[in-house]
Amino acid sequence: MTLFSKANTNNVSLRSIWQSAFIRNNAPVLLIYIFILFLVFIGSIYSDRFLTASNMVNILRQSIVLGLLAIGQTAVLLTGGMDISQEMVARLVGLTVATIFAAFDSNPAMILPLILLGVVLGVFIGGLNGLLITQTHAAPFIITFGVAFILRGLNLAISSTPIRGIPSAYLEVYSAKIGIVPVNVIVMGLVWLLAWVFTTRTLLGRRIFAVGGSERIAELSAIRVKGTVVRAYIISSIFAALAGLFLLARTGVGDPSAAEGMTFQAIVASAIGAISLYGGRGSIFGTLGGVILLTLLGNFFNLMQVNIYFQQLLLGVIVLIAVAGYKSKRLGAL
Amino acid sequence: MVYVLTYFILVSDEYWIKKNNPVIYNENIMTSNKLTEVANSHTETIISIKNISKTFGGINALSDVSFSLRGGEVHALVGENGAGKSTLIKIITGAYSSDQGFININGIEYENLHPAQARHLGISAVYQEFNLLPDMSVAENIFLTNPPLSPLGLINIRKRSEQTCQLLERLGAHNNIDPKEFVKNLTVGEQQIVEIAKALAIDAHILIMDEPSAVLPSRDLDRLFDVVRVLRDEGRGIIYISHRLNEIFELADRVTVLKDGKTMGTNNVSETNRDDLVRLMVGRELTEMYPPADNAQGKTLVKVNDLCIENVVYDINFELKEGEILGLAGLGGCGRTSIARALVGLADIDCGEIFYFGEKEKMTPALAAQAGIVLIPEDRKAHGLILDQSNRFNVTLPNLSRLEQWKMIFKKNELAPVLKAMEELKVRPQTPELDSGSLSGGNQQKIVLAKWLMVQPKIVVFDEPTRGIDVGAKAEIYQLIRKIAKQGVGIIIASSELPELLGMSDRILVLHEGRMAGELSRSEADEEKIMRLATAADSVEIPN
Repeated sequence: MTLFSKANTNNVSLRSIWQSAFIRNNAPVLLIYIFILFLVFIGSIYSDRFLTASNMVNILRQSIVLGLLAIGQTAVLLTGGMDISQEMVARLVGLTVATIFAAFDSNPAMILPLILLGVVLGVFIGGLNGLLITQTHAAPFIITFGVAFILRGLNLAISSTPIRGIPSAYLEVYSAKIGIVPVNVIVMGLVWLLAWVFTTRTLLGRRIFAVGGSERIAELSAIRVKGTVVRAYIISSIFAALAGLFLLARTGVGDPSAAEGMTFQAIVASAIGAISLYGGRGSIFGTLGGVILLTLLGNFFNLMQVNIYFQQLLLGVIVLIAVAGYKSKRLGAL
Repeated sequence: MVYVLTYFILVSDEYWIKKNNPVIYNENIMTSNKLTEVANSHTETIISIKNISKTFGGINALSDVSFSLRGGEVHALVGENGAGKSTLIKIITGAYSSDQGFININGIEYENLHPAQARHLGISAVYQEFNLLPDMSVAENIFLTNPPLSPLGLINIRKRSEQTCQLLERLGAHNNIDPKEFVKNLTVGEQQIVEIAKALAIDAHILIMDEPSAVLPSRDLDRLFDVVRVLRDEGRGIIYISHRLNEIFELADRVTVLKDGKTMGTNNVSETNRDDLVRLMVGRELTEMYPPADNAQGKTLVKVNDLCIENVVYDINFELKEGEILGLAGLGGCGRTSIARALVGLADIDCGEIFYFGEKEKMTPALAAQAGIVLIPEDRKAHGLILDQSNRFNVTLPNLSRLEQWKMIFKKNELAPVLKAMEELKVRPQTPELDSGSLSGGNQQKIVLAKWLMVQPKIVVFDEPTRGIDVGAKAEIYQLIRKIAKQGVGIIIASSELPELLGMSDRILVLHEGRMAGELSRSEADEEKIMRLATAADSVEIPN
């Protein structure tokens, strides 16, 4: 900080901007939004179809699955952990719900109970993840990886082909609109708001930050570390379950390859959004920025008809640049 | 794979040193693994330090220190904690660079040494914390950076075993230590010998031993002394740091006393005695830093009966009353910190019992925080504050359950008490949203205090309350301690700073190697008495 103020002694305005605590504390997050605006600007130059209301709404809707997973993942990352099992939870919930729909002849009366069942499944698997991690003290990566493998086997046992028989009323989850804005986009906006309230204003949110900052200090401050960690994994799995339920409405079938590779994207979105992978540091607005950026990039590449392999390559480069950039800025703090 | 990598690292390392210090490198090649030359350096000065000064943020850690070491000599370095011993060692090993002065090694003057340079000049240090890889064998550890290589450039394992055996034989430990054994399966004493063998493997002429006896059980002491004598007789110079004066008189040839970063004198051990050494180490004026003792005492808060923690403390008995300030004195490793931690349930108690407010209790950190028994820890970074969170976050942390409203924490509820606490403690700058890590040490300590005083504690245990804190903040913290004592809070101060203990405590317990060596009241305590008890300079009848 002092380095900056010294370097800019002549430029008073720049210096005073930097000294504003808001800018300073949120620099990485602001940076990502500046990058998003830049990308939108570039996109609008290269393609007429990019900066249109329908495409923007489309992007927001495309971002929902990744957003749900990333919110859950952020809760876990903030404790200093990681949840590899997310996409398998989403898939399991989708397949289970689809199977039961099919068994009940697509009865619309089953919609609410089955949504509830999906969430309960999430709670159960998240609790399992959390308990295994807190009881064995093993690396969260390995534990959730193991659980992911168990779930993968379970998913294949349920079905290796798409399951039909989803009631059409359920598909409204994806297609219902107010004007041109899908209902789910509005709901997702509220979910982001709730996630922000959760991380900044609730007791559990505060405890998650404390545990991620230092388990030792959290414990000394009379915070139950294990309970907090278990709750974070439950949150992660609940959001994964919600993502699974949303995907089911989007594809209209129980898809045994649903959400492939999404866990990794959720981790990347959080990391781009300056959620510290060591835990204890970050803001949900960063995660939102990361989610929008990734979705925007995908959309942009498609419009530009960039080769799919080259897309992956570019994405990798962007991730590395973003993460390396934050790292070098925060060297002192780490 | 690992070996190949290690090899490349080695090659590049040597290349770097060769390129930057051609002279040093050649010298090193000439002398390496040749013991005959070392023997010639008997009684010659091999390293001398001239007028070294070092400041950290305006505080003089060393001022104008001179020191010399001869070949074939054990030179003891003594002084209170904070006297500058470790700073001096770090300058010799190249970990710190000095602000002024020279280091003269074998007739060549250096302003500062680079760590790799120091190593190639034959300087090696054995710290209390060993630098050993527990899951590697003894031989692998000893030759970690310089294994004997075959013509192909691979590690010659047979030769390595042979050389390990030779080294261990020289240290008289070849019968106890198997070169193939994993280091983690060795006793602490054996690990220490491996660490010394490591220094011999790079043919260190100057061996620094930082409190080598502090980590050893007493039965291993004789073997350590024998090893040190072997090294001395080979013509190496040994800088031996110890708090235990007995050892110095048994082992050392000369002794240098440091106090407040200055050399108080170097003497031949045969021409000095314990009393002289203690007198040189202590003796400072009590400043006006300490507020007058006007706190009254009430009923008993804590009663400790025959407390022991295995291998750390034994048979500790004391009481703490309302409004009393009890000092815990003793040298490093005497068990002060363990007692402090045991009181808040952070250390496992092996026997004995602790009564809190008249009731026997098995304490846990969570229970302690609820009952108002708090520890202000020695290590602020590890146990005190989450440095990259705001002051508000840190102060609120143990108080969350008091501030919550419908399971939520509202800024309006937490900001006012945090601001009030910061104002009371004169934290500068008074910005709750600033990261705690950006504050100075003194202000960080005040935030730790704010955090725990908001709990409204009944017992506060301070472990090194003013470590790394500037003088102004120190005085403020002393006033605060006195103030809360006056409000009836029972206070324990575990500290290595004698002036602090003398200035603040109503009563001082002195520990020696985990046992109570004596108890001194405010009126009878002085630095010399405490030091005598703490070093067991004369055997004292234990009171109670």
